[in-house]
Amino acid sequence: MKKVLVVDDSLSVARQLERIISESGDFTCVGHAKNGAEAIKLNHTENPEIICMDMNMPGMDGLTALRTLAVMDKEVKVVMVTSLGGVGDKFTEALKLGAKNVISKPFEVDNVLRILREL
Amino acid sequence: MAVKFFGQFLVEQNIVTSEALLNAINLQDKNNLKLGEMAVSMGLITLADIQKAHNVQMSKDMRLGDLLVEMGFLTLAQVNDIITRQKNTHLYIGEALVQVGALSDDELRKHLDAFKADQAQYVSNGIELPISSANGKIWEMTADLTYKMITRVLDLQFRPGKCALATVIPSNFMLAAMDLSGDVEARYLISVSEGLQKSIAKAILNETSVDQEPAEILEDTVMEFVNVVCGNVAAKASQMGVIMNINPPVTLHPPANGLTIPDGHTALSFPIHIVDGDTMEMILLIKE
Repeated sequence: MKKVLVVDDSLSVARQLERIISESGDFTCVGHAKNGAEAIKLNHTENPEIICMDMNMPGMDGLTALRTLAVMDKEVKVVMVTSLGGVGDKFTEALKLGAKNVISKPFEVDNVLRILREL
Repeated sequence: MAVKFFGQFLVEQNIVTSEALLNAINLQDKNNLKLGEMAVSMGLITLADIQKAHNVQMSKDMRLGDLLVEMGFLTLAQVNDIITRQKNTHLYIGEALVQVGALSDDELRKHLDAFKADQAQYVSNGIELPISSANGKIWEMTADLTYKMITRVLDLQFRPGKCALATVIPSNFMLAAMDLSGDVEARYLISVSEGLQKSIAKAILNETSVDQEPAEILEDTVMEFVNVVCGNVAAKASQMGVIMNINPPVTLHPPANGLTIPDGHTALSFPIHIVDGDTMEMILLIKE
């Protein structure tokens, strides 16, 4: 099963994503980070294959963390899960920084799993 | 289920790859000249003049076209000619995708129709504000999208009340707030009763009962609802040509006599009458 790290300052969103990932049968959730800095630390210790990351977080935001991860870890695949997905500039910036896809909130479970399985 | 732009819709549906979309965006960047670049390409002004105007812009909050007229570099008629040329030569993302070979003309038409159908649920119905505001259309859209998200995300039946100017933010069980910045400056607030907080938590967590959930989680669900609404408002605003940045949400617990309106702000109250008697209110604190 592929290891997934969830990064979101919202406890409720993190819980939703962890449940979707754990119940999929294809993925296992290896941790939850509340901001970009924690994501970078957990990426180092847990070595996930996929990161599902929010953009708008206190402290280090998702795009800044994505920029750092792109330099530090060429293997990990990052999918942004964000309410800002529909903002064209944010979406484009995330793809340019190396995100594999951008999922808008509110998200649909089937859509999240389809995108994760296509990675 | 969210406000999207066409390129995102195509990638999300696996119709084009993210690489093809980036190629199309790069083509757009080369083709769609900004006002200053277009003025230079039309031979109306020099790069040095544009730089002078950009330097002045750092201390003067004016659009480049207005500033170039004020500084005597261009006439108003010339600025209008430049804007017309920009509109006439604008390359839309769908056209760019055809040009980079990611879509055929027929596919573009078909997927554009599907995209319009997907986004039709977010077309604004129009809301009356009690004030005239430079960004009135943005605030009307904000209220309208809030109502649509109450239906689609929270699955609650409600009746929107008449928008009114507020002199105080009334006390309630809790408020979740998000600061908006960029071309607009405002604070978006949602005020909820205890019962409604639980209804929101049930919807966000997809649970039938939240009685055992800690207060921290219950509050977090209201903040997440505000985050979802404001993120989609920012997406819609960008489609309207307005840059709106959002900040992480916060919670507030107002005293019994409510919260006062900060100096220099206008408060718009949008009462939301929930069918089972719970109370909800959206408030916009607008700095203008």
